[in-house]
Amino acid sequence: MKRKTITRIGIAAVLLVGLAVGSALAQAPVTIDFWGGWTGPDRGVMENLVNHYQTQNPGVKVNLFTVQWTPLFDRFLTSFRSGEVPDVLAMHVQDIATFAGRNLLQPVAKDVANAGFKADQFAQTAWNGTFWGGTQYALPLDLHMHANFVNLDMFKAAGLDPSKLPTTGAELIAAATKLTIDQNGKHPGENGFDPTKVKQWGFGINSNHHAFYYFYALLAQQGASFLDPTGTKVAVDTGKAERAWQWLQDLVYKYKVVPPGETNAFQDWVTGRVAMAVDGPWQLPAAQESATFAWSTTTFPNVFGTPATWGSGHVLTLPVKNDPAKRQAAIKFITWLLNNSAGWGTSGNIPAMLAARQTQEFKSLPGRTAFVNSLPFVVFLPDIPKTNQVFSAAGPSPIVVAAQSVILQAAPVSQALKQLIDGANQILATP
Amino acid sequence: MAENAATSTRLALRRGASSRWYGGATPWLFLAPFLAAFVLFRLGPVIGGFFISLTRWSIVGSPTWVGLANYRALLRDPLFHTSLVNTLFFVLLTVPAMVALSLGLALLVNMRLAPRIFARTSIFLPYVVMAAVVGVIWNWMLDSNFGLVNYALKLVGLGPFRWLTDFKLAMPAVAGVTIWWTVGFNMIIYLAGLQDVPRELEEAAMIDGAGPLAVLRHVTLPMLTPTTFVVLMLTTINAAQVFDQIYVMTGGGPGTSTLTLVQYLFYQAFQSFNLGYGSAIAYFVFLLLAVFGIIQLRLVHQQVTS
Repeated sequence: MKRKTITRIGIAAVLLVGLAVGSALAQAPVTIDFWGGWTGPDRGVMENLVNHYQTQNPGVKVNLFTVQWTPLFDRFLTSFRSGEVPDVLAMHVQDIATFAGRNLLQPVAKDVANAGFKADQFAQTAWNGTFWGGTQYALPLDLHMHANFVNLDMFKAAGLDPSKLPTTGAELIAAATKLTIDQNGKHPGENGFDPTKVKQWGFGINSNHHAFYYFYALLAQQGASFLDPTGTKVAVDTGKAERAWQWLQDLVYKYKVVPPGETNAFQDWVTGRVAMAVDGPWQLPAAQESATFAWSTTTFPNVFGTPATWGSGHVLTLPVKNDPAKRQAAIKFITWLLNNSAGWGTSGNIPAMLAARQTQEFKSLPGRTAFVNSLPFVVFLPDIPKTNQVFSAAGPSPIVVAAQSVILQAAPVSQALKQLIDGANQILATP
Repeated sequence: MAENAATSTRLALRRGASSRWYGGATPWLFLAPFLAAFVLFRLGPVIGGFFISLTRWSIVGSPTWVGLANYRALLRDPLFHTSLVNTLFFVLLTVPAMVALSLGLALLVNMRLAPRIFARTSIFLPYVVMAAVVGVIWNWMLDSNFGLVNYALKLVGLGPFRWLTDFKLAMPAVAGVTIWWTVGFNMIIYLAGLQDVPRELEEAAMIDGAGPLAVLRHVTLPMLTPTTFVVLMLTTINAAQVFDQIYVMTGGGPGTSTLTLVQYLFYQAFQSFNLGYGSAIAYFVFLLLAVFGIIQLRLVHQQVTS
């Protein structure tokens, strides 16, 4: 009797343990790590999307980790030494070469095909941006590019037609001149105009790395590029480059429509100091919330003939990792995110997927038209392994120094250009 | 008195065999946690950093030995020269002002005037604020268009000044912010030093007919020499290593007018992924400060012995 009882208890115990372990394994959620560099209001939008996905898919846990892009990429590089590589890494179009060039990203062509995505479902520029060296390394989430934010109230007050917003360089300067008013009501070029006593400026541009992006677009508008086809040297047409920088410098010092020493064009625009300002769609939520005037957007001015606007785009990549279950879950998540990217549109970014842009949800968002119209004309920075060093947005990077010399210091354009080319070539030359 | 101490120690040591063992290892056991942390996080990286400076390394992958190539490259690097000149300029702008101003403030606060506690607190309070916060707030205050500083100046008919976007004004602006931020700390050190100046000496000088300025020059200041030495050393070392507020306020700009040594180091090591080169810059700063420290020590030694 005793042995029988013990045996029965033993069997029951084993069954119970087996049941517990089995159910634990069955319920163990697949966890994927999703890293991105969004730290502003767009972080909240992404977080909502991620939570939405988890609610719909209870067997999956998505850990969203965000920190500013530069430290994010530092962390990503060191993660290969610590072994905590993320499953999905967001980056920009021009960052792909940096990491694919170090063999840290997996090609995704097969996954794209399996998920049923095709090139014609996305904006062509966005789709093309996911390739490097002929291999597709990412899926396109969105694009963001420059456009011109316009204060319609000031437009009307200056006697301009708000239905005919400027799109060419000449139209822009003409409008900005009428919109630049000094304390005596005079405009630039008129007798008695005092540039030190201006109460409203016509146009605002940034003097940081974005000024280099304006230059880059103006180069593309002349059919020129900055680097040679191999991406290892600067090979820019100096005549066209100087013309591009000169146009920007003239806005401040010759046409006097841009306030000298401007540091934050959008801030100046939203507080009513400038009537128009160039910035990206990431400012749209702030415009919606803080602008106390009627506003709209128009495309970045076409100055030299061929329309071109600087832009970039967020893409989703799969870092090299040996975990098929997580990879599967990651692709499933990315697929869902792309199909639901209309929600991402509230962050200001323009969804790459055509279907997302055609939803009522996206169409009801204000100010997006000019950005959507710019999609076919977006030019990206060169996607080379050294992009983040040559075109670094920080500190003494040659593009920032050049932009500030031209716009803040009124340095001779040829001199600033030479420094830019030398600086960029120096970085490209070091192994 | 010393002999008694020695005798009693010998007696204590002989009293118990266990106490001899106690005396030997116990201090080390107490120090062990601190020493471990110190070696791991301070000494180790300092030595490791020197070896990194002899390599070329970009985080991913292993370092490649290049010997003194990084140091040779430093000598030819125009941006490095710019950062060195800018750093020296910053040191010249801040150190004399910091030492003189903090001494003046300490003397003022030390006088038994009515608002001394309020003054002392409000002068020191900025030091408690974090560098990033200081940078962000002053960015707004110094903005050319909507900053409070330009607004205040406009009320008296001055300006507007492009504090952070004019190539010539940016470094003085950052220096000004730094002085505002850290003068309180130096003042506290001077206040402590002033308490050590014997009142009898000052009173004796006054009885002998010395006016307050003469007392200051011939009694107070010489007595403050060790304090001045400490303040000068600390201020110079901090000024040579300035990074936080410049990173937040100007990022080294406009152009390269506020690019300092540590700023350039950060750019090279963590934004351009040239760890070896960044390390070499760090060691150069170390050498610079070591030389300066030795010069200072010699000067103080001279003054003390003369």
